[in-house]
Amino acid sequence: MNYILSITLWLPVAAAVILLFFPKTAASAIKGFGLLASLATFVASLGILNGFHEGVAGLQLTESLAWIPQWGIRYALGVDGISLWLILLTTLLTPVVFLSSWNTIHKHPKEYVIAFLIMEAAMIGVFVASDLLLFYVFFELTLLPMYLVIGVWGGANRIYAAIKFFLFTIAGSLLMLLGIIYLAFAHFHDTGVLTFTITELYGTTLAPHAQVLLFFAFALAFAIKVPLFPLHTWLPDAHVEAPTGGSIILAGVMLKMGTYGFLRFVLPFFPDATAKYAGLLIALAVIGIVYGALVAWVQPDMKKLVAYSSVSHLGFCVLGIFALNQTSIEGSILQMVNHGLSTGALFLCVGVIYERRHTRLLADYGGLAKTMPVFATFFIIAMLSSVGLPGLNGFIGEFLILAGSFQTWPRATIVAATGVILAAIYLLWLIQRVFFGPITKEENKNVREIAWNEVVALVPLVVLMVWIGVRPNVFLRKMTPSVQQLLQIVHKTDAGKAMIAGVGRRVSGVGDQNRPHEAMLRPPTPDPRLPLSGGVR
Amino acid sequence: MTHTLLPVLIMMLIAVVVGVVMLALAWFVGGHARTASKQEPYESGVPSLDENRKRVNVRFYQIAMLFILFDIEAAFLYPWAVIYREASTGAQGMFLFGEMLVFIVLLAVGYVYVWKKKAFDF
Amino acid sequence: MNWNDMIYILPEVILTIGASAMLLVPVTGGRGAKLSAKWMMIILLAITAGALIYCSHAVENIDQSRQLQAMFALDGFSIFFKLLFIGAIAMLVMLSEDFLAEGKYSPWEYYSLLGFALCGMMFMASGVHLITIYIGLELLSLSSYILAGFYKSELKSTEAAMKYFILGAVSSAILLYGISLIYGVCGSLNLLDIAAAMSTIVTNDALMFGIMLLGAGLCFKIAAVPFHVWTPDVYEGAPTPIAAFLSTGSKAAAFAIFARIFYTGLHDFHLEWNYVLATISALSMIIGNLAAITQDNVKRMLGYSSIAHAGYVLLGVISLNALGLRGILMYSVVYVFANLGIWATVLMLRRHQYAGERVDDFEGLSRRSPLWAFAMVIFLLSLGGIPPTAGFIGKYFLFAAAVQAGFGWLAVIAVLMSAVSMFYYLRLVVAMYLREGVEAEFAITTPLRIVAGICLVVTLALGIVPSSLIDQAVLSSSHVAAHAALTPHAGR
Repeated sequence: MNYILSITLWLPVAAAVILLFFPKTAASAIKGFGLLASLATFVASLGILNGFHEGVAGLQLTESLAWIPQWGIRYALGVDGISLWLILLTTLLTPVVFLSSWNTIHKHPKEYVIAFLIMEAAMIGVFVASDLLLFYVFFELTLLPMYLVIGVWGGANRIYAAIKFFLFTIAGSLLMLLGIIYLAFAHFHDTGVLTFTITELYGTTLAPHAQVLLFFAFALAFAIKVPLFPLHTWLPDAHVEAPTGGSIILAGVMLKMGTYGFLRFVLPFFPDATAKYAGLLIALAVIGIVYGALVAWVQPDMKKLVAYSSVSHLGFCVLGIFALNQTSIEGSILQMVNHGLSTGALFLCVGVIYERRHTRLLADYGGLAKTMPVFATFFIIAMLSSVGLPGLNGFIGEFLILAGSFQTWPRATIVAATGVILAAIYLLWLIQRVFFGPITKEENKNVREIAWNEVVALVPLVVLMVWIGVRPNVFLRKMTPSVQQLLQIVHKTDAGKAMIAGVGRRVSGVGDQNRPHEAMLRPPTPDPRLPLSGGVR
Repeated sequence: MTHTLLPVLIMMLIAVVVGVVMLALAWFVGGHARTASKQEPYESGVPSLDENRKRVNVRFYQIAMLFILFDIEAAFLYPWAVIYREASTGAQGMFLFGEMLVFIVLLAVGYVYVWKKKAFDF
Repeated sequence: MNWNDMIYILPEVILTIGASAMLLVPVTGGRGAKLSAKWMMIILLAITAGALIYCSHAVENIDQSRQLQAMFALDGFSIFFKLLFIGAIAMLVMLSEDFLAEGKYSPWEYYSLLGFALCGMMFMASGVHLITIYIGLELLSLSSYILAGFYKSELKSTEAAMKYFILGAVSSAILLYGISLIYGVCGSLNLLDIAAAMSTIVTNDALMFGIMLLGAGLCFKIAAVPFHVWTPDVYEGAPTPIAAFLSTGSKAAAFAIFARIFYTGLHDFHLEWNYVLATISALSMIIGNLAAITQDNVKRMLGYSSIAHAGYVLLGVISLNALGLRGILMYSVVYVFANLGIWATVLMLRRHQYAGERVDDFEGLSRRSPLWAFAMVIFLLSLGGIPPTAGFIGKYFLFAAAVQAGFGWLAVIAVLMSAVSMFYYLRLVVAMYLREGVEAEFAITTPLRIVAGICLVVTLALGIVPSSLIDQAVLSSSHVAAHAALTPHAGR
């Protein structure tokens, strides 16, 4: 049995506990230890990559222990092609955060580092949990540290932003909790086994109306997190007020918890409702793409601009997911990683100049390329990645999404494609106004060039942008079997049904202890439209 | 059902009628001399000596409440005595007697408490 | 009935003797007055707990059916709650030390009243007969009235006691009227007899009226809307440790009788009362949480929050299934510990009688005392039902019970209101972490530290490894569940 997932998950927690005993004043020691711990976590996550078997669809490297046996809740972990890169993204971005905030966080460094370590652990937990309730616990656990990061180290209006962030997310996720309970009971009603293990719940048959209700309970929680168009209002506030590190994690990883949730839970749990309401979500996604881009265009504030560009880019991810085909979903997963890299880098860059000039207004800049050439290079690469320049990662992701969704939703895709053009407009305009043209402001004449820690933080991101852009197959290859399996479940093909029935067996082939319950191995239901389960009594 | 209650109803009606008639007679037949002395309250035919709303020492209430408390608790002895008479033989009788002793002891605790708290002192 | 039956009520007998003795110590003078009232009380509680555990083992060998002429049951359910009550009172004794150290009021009388209140609570937990339950409730209530007005010279405290007393007396009368109507129809006050009688009754207006009045009286005791108006005023006016007592121990006792009466006695009329209680529960959650948002006084905020929590617990009664019953047991534990922790933290901020009450007083607590600020966050998260705290487990039970019983809409209201409740709980977090506070005085005494520490450990431990508590709740509720003819499911 391989404990690499648990090690990755608990390393940051252990580091946070050790940090409690550091004296408050030893700022460099605290930051150094935090960085070290996050790097160690990254190395551990490379172990996950190393142990990952390409070509296996189900969960791998699984671990399973009884947690609350009375309800069949297990401490069950596993990783597959969908979550693999997101875990690595998380462990990569956390050291980046520590590096970028090396010189900027003076207030309470100890609490800052602890908050980020706990957050990292919770985010890893979200991606590796293969028990629904364990997932929920981690999903909620990410909230408090982020709330404190925004609220303590944020800007002027931080308290409002922090509370808005917290309440928006918790309202959605509490409804999801009800959905989880209902789903588990429905499964119990069917099979007589109370379990929260995701793979076992995949086969649950639900009455149509129940499926629709549950679909919306889950989709709401994830749509708020993504955030999808009408629910996005917390995001600009949170981003503008959050410190740079908070923004990087928020945009880089936390938003992906929403898209990941769609892929992991909404699609396979509620295939009928997904098929029925995919159009609605695609419509919202496309509105979000165009709306986010248009609003970003007119933002005078750099950070808000990047924040709205996130709304637009995440719209692409949702579009890819609900187009429900292999190409688009693979593109969507890749785009989640891309967005993490490019937007993380953009927020980092915005943080760099904010730190020097204490303003984020575009109007206050101009001609910075002359004073900060190295910085300008990094910023422009990140920007081009975000725009989707061929040769960089953004292009691959967006191309795959658009190519895939064009097969199923051609008209929506055409509208969405304007988002790419708009992105080019607002981002290039941003670059032009900040970096080129004459230096109009006296203060911009001698701005300090980018520091070593910021370079070190940016280099891996840029390297990955190019790498994904040039050799996307290295990354896509690992997702393919998992996405295939997912689609088979969603489309309810015969192979998918067989897979639901045999899903545990397939997993156990990789050497885990998570034996499926006998009742799981029952034959698949012949007609999904039969109201087999009217819900629980 | 209704007819059994009819006499009661009639009696109530008569009571109301008698009362109203007597008051009305006094009103119509009697004279109306509203002088200041006529408006004054009086007690047992004697004019009152001073204000009828005056402060009374709170200890009166205290004593009254304590009296009622112990009085009512003593009243519990009667139902007990009835049962005790029926079952006063053997172990059961001893048990009932013990129960009442417990009750009395608890009362005594309260009594000692208020006594030592000087609730009876003036 | 004979002397051998005394074994059932041995803990209560010991407690009564002890409390009576403590009442007499200060007035009789002598050597006793020099002893520490606090330690005497702790010793008394320890003996009571020991006796309770001894009795619970001893009665296993005695015929369970007689049980003091069906007045009093020493079953798993009651032992579970009694141990919880004793623990809560022991922690309250610790919390009260500062308040009594001011020396204006006699600690002996205070602890004696707490002892009598505990005795009432224990009778409530054990009562299987409406008279036992009523007497226990009255003993608890009368002690609470006096305790609420314990600051004799403070206007606020006296006002609180007066309001509490008058409304409490009215509700007791209503309760008694309901009990008498039920007796009139069913011919017995034993809950099992009532259940047996009800199973033969199709419909009866007097009985319905009786159940309604009984429910109203009980709702007053747990402070459910619309019988809640006394709560914020009393919490605000009463001495802080007493507010803590009213919101934890006293409330848990009311939850216990609520569960016992409805699960054992009235389950046959489930369809008649469940929608009424569901409405009350929904109103409690909505009004309690919404009203709490605007409160600047922490005690009032906790008062409204306790109204909302009464609404959550009612979910467990309404669902009338094994999950709901266990949920009530679990939630009582979780709620008592989280709440006591919060009250302990409030007391740490006490500078004089009514300090530590405003939300502003919490400003900058994270700087001055990081550990206790963190503990406070955990308690608040627990009340809000956020994992990985115990509150999540408790709420999970209740929500799951409601979903299972087909009260999905009520569960939706409950989760939405939980989200709302986070808003005002976060106000305290905002004050502690996000605002730089004035350097206010801050007194962490050892007893407060012990209480907050215990509550922190319990709240976190039950949130992370809840299995043992769940097992205990399953075991303890089995007796009551069997009476309610609930079919236990595997693993639930």
